This record gives sequence, C-alpha cells and structure tokens, in this order.
Amino acid sequence: MSATVSPARTASNNPSEPSQAGLNVSCPIGMLYLLGAGLVWLLVALVLGFIDSLKFHAPGFLADHGFLSYGRVHAAAGSALLYGFGAQAALGIGLWLLCRLGRTTLAGPFVVFLGAFFWNFAVTVGVIAILCGNNTGFDAFEMPAVCAPTLFVSYAMIGICAMLTFHQRREGPLYPSQWFVVGALFWFPWIFSTAAILLLYMPVHGVLQAAIAWWYAHNFSMVFLGFSGLASSFYFIPKLLGRPLHSRQLAALAFWTLAVFGSWGGIPDGAPLPSWIASISVVGTVLMAIPMLALGDNFYHTARYGLNTLDADPTLRFTYVGLLFLFVAVAQQIVGALPNVSAITSLTWFGAAQKELFHLGFFAMTVFGAMYYIVPRLLGLGAEAWCPKLTKWHFGLTLAGILISYLALLVAGVEQGIMLAGTNHSFVEVMSSTLMPLRASTLGDLLFLAGTFVFLGNFLRVIGTWCCEFRRRAIKEAK
Amino acid sequence: MNNGPLLFLGLFAAMVFSWLGFVMGPQLQIGNLPQTNTVVVGDAISQAYPVALSGNAHQGEEVYRANGCAACHTQMVRAGDSSPLAGPDISHGWGARRSVAEDYLFDQPVLLGSQRIGPDLANYGRRSSIDAILRRLYDPRSLVPGSIMPSYRFFFKTRKIEGAPSPDALVLSGKDAPAPGYEVVPGPRARSLAAYLLSLHQDGYLYEAPPPALPPPPKTNAPPAMAVKK
Repeated sequence: MSATVSPARTASNNPSEPSQAGLNVSCPIGMLYLLGAGLVWLLVALVLGFIDSLKFHAPGFLADHGFLSYGRVHAAAGSALLYGFGAQAALGIGLWLLCRLGRTTLAGPFVVFLGAFFWNFAVTVGVIAILCGNNTGFDAFEMPAVCAPTLFVSYAMIGICAMLTFHQRREGPLYPSQWFVVGALFWFPWIFSTAAILLLYMPVHGVLQAAIAWWYAHNFSMVFLGFSGLASSFYFIPKLLGRPLHSRQLAALAFWTLAVFGSWGGIPDGAPLPSWIASISVVGTVLMAIPMLALGDNFYHTARYGLNTLDADPTLRFTYVGLLFLFVAVAQQIVGALPNVSAITSLTWFGAAQKELFHLGFFAMTVFGAMYYIVPRLLGLGAEAWCPKLTKWHFGLTLAGILISYLALLVAGVEQGIMLAGTNHSFVEVMSSTLMPLRASTLGDLLFLAGTFVFLGNFLRVIGTWCCEFRRRAIKEAK
Repeated sequence: MNNGPLLFLGLFAAMVFSWLGFVMGPQLQIGNLPQTNTVVVGDAISQAYPVALSGNAHQGEEVYRANGCAACHTQMVRAGDSSPLAGPDISHGWGARRSVAEDYLFDQPVLLGSQRIGPDLANYGRRSSIDAILRRLYDPRSLVPGSIMPSYRFFFKTRKIEGAPSPDALVLSGKDAPAPGYEVVPGPRARSLAAYLLSLHQDGYLYEAPPPALPPPPKTNAPPAMAVKK
C-alpha cells in the first residue's frame, strides 16, 4: 500500500491557500453556532438521560408529572442527542473540513447561520413537544411531524452551502475526509425524507413502519454519524502526527463497504417480518467487519509511531479513544447479530450498551477531539486558549464515565438475556437482578455529564479569551 | 476517487441499493397484506383477523404512544427456530405463538418497541383485567412487589366523594388509600389506555403461525367438491 496525501500538507506551503485569518473572518459564526449549540444539546441529553437513570434507583422519582415520566424523558433525551448534538456536530465539523481541505472559504456563511438557527428552533420545539406527550413512537425519530419540514429545510440550507463550498474547492484531489463528509451530507436528507414521508405523512401499512424505523435509526447512527466521525479521524490523526495516511486504497475500501454494509442492518432478531429481511440485516452487520479491518489496519500503520504524542495533544487523545470505542461498538454489534447470540441478547440492555458506546464513546469523544482543534482556530486563537487542567479533567471524567456506563449496561444486558432465555425466573426477578449494574451505570452517566460540563466551562473560557482579545484589538485600533 | 460527480453517483447507488432492500422490497412483499381468516381448529369458526381497534382503544393507543410506553415494552412474541409455537417468550406466557406481520395490520403507528425493560405486551389483553391494569397504572408495586415500572398517577383524579361513591373508584388500601371521604377515579387517559391494553391479543391462528395441530391436509389437489364426489 502506498502512502498517500496527508492533510498535514494541505495547510502549509501553498501560496494559493487562504490565510488563516481569512478563513477565520469568513467562516466562524455558523460553524461556532453549530458546534456550541451541539454541545449545549449534548448537555441537555445527558441531563435528561441522568434523570431517566435515576428512575432505576427510585421508580417514583418525578413520576407524578407527565412531562418527566420515563418514556417521555427517554425519547426527549434520544432526540436531543441525535438531532441536537449529533447532527449539528457532524455538520459543524464537516463544514470546517470542507473549507480546510478544499483550501477555500465557506460559501454562504449567513445562510449556514440561519439554517443552524432554524434547526435549533425545530429541535427545541420537538423536544418540548415530546415532553408534552407528542411523540411519534418511532425510536430515533420521535419528534412530531410538524418539526420535519423545518428540519429538512434548515438542513438543506446548510447542506447546499456545504456542497457549494465543496464545489469551489481549490484543491483538486480529494482527501478521504472529504469523501466521508460528502457521504454523510448526502445520506441524511435521503433517509430523513424517506422516514418522514413513509412514517408520518403517508404512513406505510402495518409492520413495515417498524422495519423502516429500524432501518432509519441504523442508517442515522452507522452511516451519517459514522461517516462524520471518521472524516474527523482521517483528518486529525495524520495531520497531528505529521505523517501521511498509510493507504488511500484502504480508506476507499472502508468508505464504500461502510456505505453498503453499514446501511443494511438494524432489524432485531425475531422481528415479525419476512425472514429474508432479518437475514440480510445479519449478513450486512457481519460484513461490517470488512470496513473495520480496513480502518484498523490503516490507522494502525498511520499512527503506530506516534503513540508517544498522546499526552501532548487532546485532539489526538480523544480521537484515538473514539476510534477504539468505534471498533469495540461495531465488534459488539457483529457478535450480537449472530443468530445464536442475538436469540439471547436481542431486545435487552445489550443493545442499549452498544448504542451508548457508539454515540458517546465514539462519536462524542471524536467530536470533543475535533473541537479542541477547530474552535480556537475559528477564533484566531492558539491551542493554549484551552485550560490544560480542565482538558485533563474533561478527558478523565468522560473516559471513566463511558467505561463505567458501558460495562455496567453490557453486564446488565448479558445477565438479562441469559435469565430470560431460561424459564426458571419470572420477569420481575430478571429485572431485579439487573438493577445493580443499571444503578452502577448511573455513576458512569454522572461522570460523563460532569466531564461535559467541564468541557463547556473550558469552551466558554475560550470564547471569553476571544472576547478579551477582540476588545483589546478594538481599543488598540481606536488609539 | 477525485471526481466529485462520480463520488455522488457511487453514493447514490449505495443508497438506492439499501433503499431497495429495506424499504421497497418489504413494501412489495408485505405492504398490501389484506385482512385474512383464521385457520379453523376443531369446531371453531373461522374469523376475520385482525380486527380494527375500537374508538376508545384507539385513543388508548395514542396515550401509549405519547407516553413512550414502547421504550420499555415490546409487542412481539419471538419463537425459536424449531417451531413457531416454542421459545422463551412463549414459555414466559407472553403468547401462544410467534408474532407475524398480519398481527399489525390495523396498528397506527406500529409500536413494536426495541427493548424489554418491562414484559412483552403483544397478548396482554389475554392475561389481564381492567381492574388489574388500573391498579398497576396507579401503583405498579401494589400488585407486583419489586416492579420497576413508574406509576402513572397523573392519569387519575383524587376527588371528594359527593353522595354515593363512584362505581369506577379504585379499591385501594394501605399507603395508596385516599383520605377518608375521598376516592381515586381513573381519568379518560387511564380508561382508554386500559381499553387499548385489553385489546392486545395475537391469538388468531394463521397459516404463517399455525396452531399446534393443523387439520390434516387434503389427499388430493382437486377442489374439495370434486374430492367428495370421488
């Protein structure tokens, strides 16, 4: 495999590249809005998730208020995580990568800002509506029908600007991160419009609704968020190590196999559907091993000499950990799809553990890493704008949080599956036995939440530094 | 992979591939399933299956959806590979046979759920009663000690007894009992949710989910009338 172009090269030694200052002036508001609002939504999702988790300690906790009942809070937390945080972070990082790798400025920054504003408006309405009892009932697609057009239009506003930015790029050859960003940008409107039309506006007949909802949820996570996270990993690992990407061919293999096999899955074992659908879902999930092996080999050979830099750079640290969790989450998904295993683990906490690891362990950690690099540069500041002590706390708390939460849910899932597969225990006995790990997962949720609060503090500190700098410059210019 | 349009074309092909497999294919096969007749067992009469929900039960389905009940409860009975009539779900008493696509023809939306924090409810109407459902909604642990289900007291109203006590008032004791002179009555949401839960049953035997002993198949392929003549 031949070494290929490195993003390390793209930002230097090229007179045609827009200056850092130029990039900063034209781009930051829309992207900062997407990333900052995404961070706030992550906190909202984590707080709601924590409230839900507390109900396993005391089922009567906040149960007398309809808007804080378990089912509503659970759906609201999921929507805040996927649409408030996931989609916005994916768009923010994607736009920045398209600008950076295309050596161009963002097309239509005001339209992006407006799109981000409407997106946040729709998600706010959606989350409040869910808490008030207006829930579609479909997992990962809970926001009411009234939100879908606004979400689609605001996404289109941002997406069209992204495509124009991609089109006006000054760097001809495409770097793998650009494939992944373009893939993610293209994937979302297709699956979202399919789900909105066939589930909400012209609902299909019978159990097909469930099949489409599962397909949508799987594609949203595995392809849309997966592509977005990997675009960041492909950029930052070679860039910060100062090494070329090991193999462009392996990256292409991972990209196409992830697009094909990653989109074929999500149907649980034993679903009341024709058996060929579940079988194809299993085959697609198992074949996800191909992109994972391609990614593993590529990143290993790219980064194997740079592991000593882990302590030096928070972006690398978070990105490495995110990648590691991606491999574990997908490996668990593959194992869980095997018929003998899925007969036990399907519909248990096993799946919840896998989702948590994918969304928080892989995607959120990768986004944190990217934000450590992107945010100061958007504001024309250096990496020292981050408080190193807070950065360390952020990493430690979130890593400990996700590990505790994931392992606890995994233990609960395996225990629940094994006990339910037998006939010696009543359902109440099964659930009582899983309470201990479920309660342990609350500690993990709390630590992750605390870590994210620390990151918000650090983020606000960077914004504060920029404000001071801006004021200082304004006074200087006035003099 | 440096050509933008080619990249889009490839992505479009991958997307269409997935869409055809998971959206179009199932739609062609089961998108227009009609209401059918149950398989006749013994002296039973074949009945149209499934039947649409009554008005009150349909409102209950809305309450079930709005409150995210599907976050904890599935509505699908799974069976082992060997038989549609055996498996852990059936051993737990959640149904007599596995669930099939026909069972959900009139569900809108279809709320299969994706995790079991509570038991499966596909046949809950066959193993519960309205009193038990209302008691369980008001205080789940009064009937099932150790249950982790939250209570839904906001579906009920505590009111002063004026004249004769309401016949709908819950019979409560211990810490759940209202103050003297007061009674707890189910509100419209509790009533309709109970009606919906009582309507849940997937016990019509179909050719996809046959009864334990099917009637013997005819010995000839000829139409029944001609077979009798022979």
